[in-house]
Amino acid sequence: MGFYILSYLCIAVFALATLYRIYRQMTMPVHVRWEIYPVQHETSAKVAYGGSYMEEIDWWEKKQEKSLLGELLYMVPEILFIRGLWKENRGLWWVSFPFHFGLYMMIATVILLLGHAGFTLWGSTVFSAGSTLRTLLDGFIAVMGWGGLILGNIGSLGLLYRRWTDAELRNYSSPVDYFNLLFILLFFLSALVSCLSGDPFLEGAKAYVMGLLTGGHPLNAHVPGRSISGIVAIVSASLLVAYIPLTHMSHMFMKYFLYHNVKWDDAPNRRGGGIEAAVRKNLNLRPTWGAKHVGADGQKTWLDIASSAPTEEKK
Amino acid sequence: MNKPLNPSDLARPSECLCHIEPGELPPLPPPYEDFNQTAIPPLKPDKIKNIEASLDDTVAIGIPKPANKQEEEELVRRFLAGLQKLFEKNNNWTFLQPLMLSMEHCAKCQTCSDACPIYEMSGKKDIHRPMFRAEVLRRIYNKYLKPGGKITAKFTGDIDLNWTTIARLAELSYRCTLCRRCATVCPIGVDNGLINHEIRKLFSQEMGIAPKEIHDKGTVQHLRVGSTTGMTPAAAKDSMEFIQEEMEEITGSKVEVPWDVEGADILLLHNAGEMLAWPENVGAFAIIFQAAGLSWTLSSEAAGYDAVNYGLWYDDVQFSRVAVRHADIARRLKVKKIVVGECGHAHKALTVIADRLLTGDLNIPRESAMVTLEEIVLKGKIKLNPSRNNFPVTLHDPCNIVRAMGIVEPQRRILRKIAPKFREMTPHGVMNYCCGGGSGFAIMSGYNFAEWRNLVSSRKKFLQILEAFKDEPREVPKYVCAPCSNCKGAIRDIIGYYSAEERSRLYYGGLVELIVNAMADMKKPMIRFGDEPSWTS
Repeated sequence: MGFYILSYLCIAVFALATLYRIYRQMTMPVHVRWEIYPVQHETSAKVAYGGSYMEEIDWWEKKQEKSLLGELLYMVPEILFIRGLWKENRGLWWVSFPFHFGLYMMIATVILLLGHAGFTLWGSTVFSAGSTLRTLLDGFIAVMGWGGLILGNIGSLGLLYRRWTDAELRNYSSPVDYFNLLFILLFFLSALVSCLSGDPFLEGAKAYVMGLLTGGHPLNAHVPGRSISGIVAIVSASLLVAYIPLTHMSHMFMKYFLYHNVKWDDAPNRRGGGIEAAVRKNLNLRPTWGAKHVGADGQKTWLDIASSAPTEEKK
Repeated sequence: MNKPLNPSDLARPSECLCHIEPGELPPLPPPYEDFNQTAIPPLKPDKIKNIEASLDDTVAIGIPKPANKQEEEELVRRFLAGLQKLFEKNNNWTFLQPLMLSMEHCAKCQTCSDACPIYEMSGKKDIHRPMFRAEVLRRIYNKYLKPGGKITAKFTGDIDLNWTTIARLAELSYRCTLCRRCATVCPIGVDNGLINHEIRKLFSQEMGIAPKEIHDKGTVQHLRVGSTTGMTPAAAKDSMEFIQEEMEEITGSKVEVPWDVEGADILLLHNAGEMLAWPENVGAFAIIFQAAGLSWTLSSEAAGYDAVNYGLWYDDVQFSRVAVRHADIARRLKVKKIVVGECGHAHKALTVIADRLLTGDLNIPRESAMVTLEEIVLKGKIKLNPSRNNFPVTLHDPCNIVRAMGIVEPQRRILRKIAPKFREMTPHGVMNYCCGGGSGFAIMSGYNFAEWRNLVSSRKKFLQILEAFKDEPREVPKYVCAPCSNCKGAIRDIIGYYSAEERSRLYYGGLVELIVNAMADMKKPMIRFGDEPSWTS
């Protein structure tokens, strides 16, 4: 039961940390525009060369065309295949891609395992032993799981090797960068060893996920700890789930905000609109910057200061 | 020899942390090989004895050394106070979210380094990696402002904080042109250029430290006198009268320059530097707008005849003051829109960044002159004879107009129509390289900074220009079209520094000059290559 409690705690930390990160982004004050082109929700004709709506005469009189499809067409390959790295840093891509894709496949495996546990708990004949659905799901889990483990091991070993041997990367790496990779490698390696030790269809993982859903009910749940590698895989996976959102590795999902809220945030401020209301609110904030020319005293607002001359002028 | 430098080395005492030896810079092609062994001229000891000059071979700010230990400690304390304020909503709502996202998610993959022209052209010196200075700030923040930071720093990346660290970091923030090419290539979306911008802000807004060219002679003078050039409203009008006369020689007819016309459709904002350094640019706008029959005006009010906003590069407060001044002038003139002339940073400042600062009736529509000019040229509002521009032309893309605003094609469509020998640089558009004069560099020339700029930060652009014209014979005059005042300044300086007019017959200018040069009813050419007119009637 101790393993399940650890997993529950780690999942709770993950959920809380992720929600906190997202909440913090959602409640940030509206910032000034800092987009960079190409902005992928522009029309496909403009995306092709990095153009914007500001290329149009009297653009403010026209409806801004935005293409969600354009964003998806860019983001999906970017997230799945790390396209930016392929284009700009090919040498690193060869190890970064298997690392990231291995992680994605493990996430997909967990989703399939949850499906498997759900169907089992449902108890329908549709999912009885030997049924087409069960055979298919078992097959998907095996393919996804093995694929993820193989790619993940190659990727984490490769990234570790590159970070260690490439002077350009090593010079800027701190102990925690190596720790993170070793930590992830520990999971991939222990899980791979576990599967290689007589569990090619991830039966242990299926039972463990079932146990997670049922609170470790002994009739349905795998009893963890049958092998050292199994223990290490469960413990490291649980801890990783909790650890990732606490580190820069949260870029896996925080990338959304980096792109949508900064790089592609080209929404113009229109009179009477929501952005204008948010800007007015910001202009009532009271800065405390210390340089003389700013003239901030903690009482004056941004609006007061922006409408005034630099302090040096008032000698 | 390249000795690797780590961000923590910034705190290490040394006379010069990063020195470039002759021959370390990427080679230039013939006939410029004689510059390949040129070194940055050494700083004069008597000029730098009282200022911080231990980062590299040049000085941008010239920060006075603290007189004693107490003063040093006070400066460190103020730095940390400023750093804290960067992460506070009331102090930095303008950039809080972009800053936090970039501070927290860098994977240190170094993809950004190869995209940076200064890193490449410095001979790949570590201090010029875009993430180097960002990593210094991250380490200081994590160690000195986060709870338990002094313990976790041993694992996450350590750095000592002393006056040397701070003063070098201030200088280092003026070795990046804020072109943001690094941000374009980051797979995660991290913007190390933005972090550099925030470092500059910290020093200016909290400690009052900024290069005098962009603060004292820049924004402060702009707000006090009316222009960063020092030009008063009366002087601006005088200059325009002179320019009018010059233009009338070209057109052979009267050129009107409307001032302070209430209710005009367009308020045209020029970089006032054009009136002094490139008066033909300002004159060309007048000729084109008059010929196209536009309703437009200039403003003679202080700051209304100078579109620049140097605050964009280093100080949100100064930025806001200038932007509000510009918008207020347009509001009182009751114009329908502001058109920003050929000035890249003024484009971004007033159109994009100030967009979330100006509210209510200050939020007057702003448009790029590239767009206005495209409408005139492509809709046939002026009569053109493109064969008058029958010389090789290439286009420099100002980062602030192209990468930061997505205004890429209007200027190209114009050039394709009026310049039969137009060719692109490689790469161009949103992946262009900075002229090397961005973020204030073009107007900074204290100590030996101008030499550093010509040898290092503008080097990539020079190579690109040479490459664009490599198939043209030496004796053929070639025109670099740079629709931005700062870019023109940087390109003027590299042409002069490398004697490229004599060696390659390189000339430069704006877009409007090319348009007027191709106007069918002009009596004289606007563009001359030295003493040689670009066309004869």
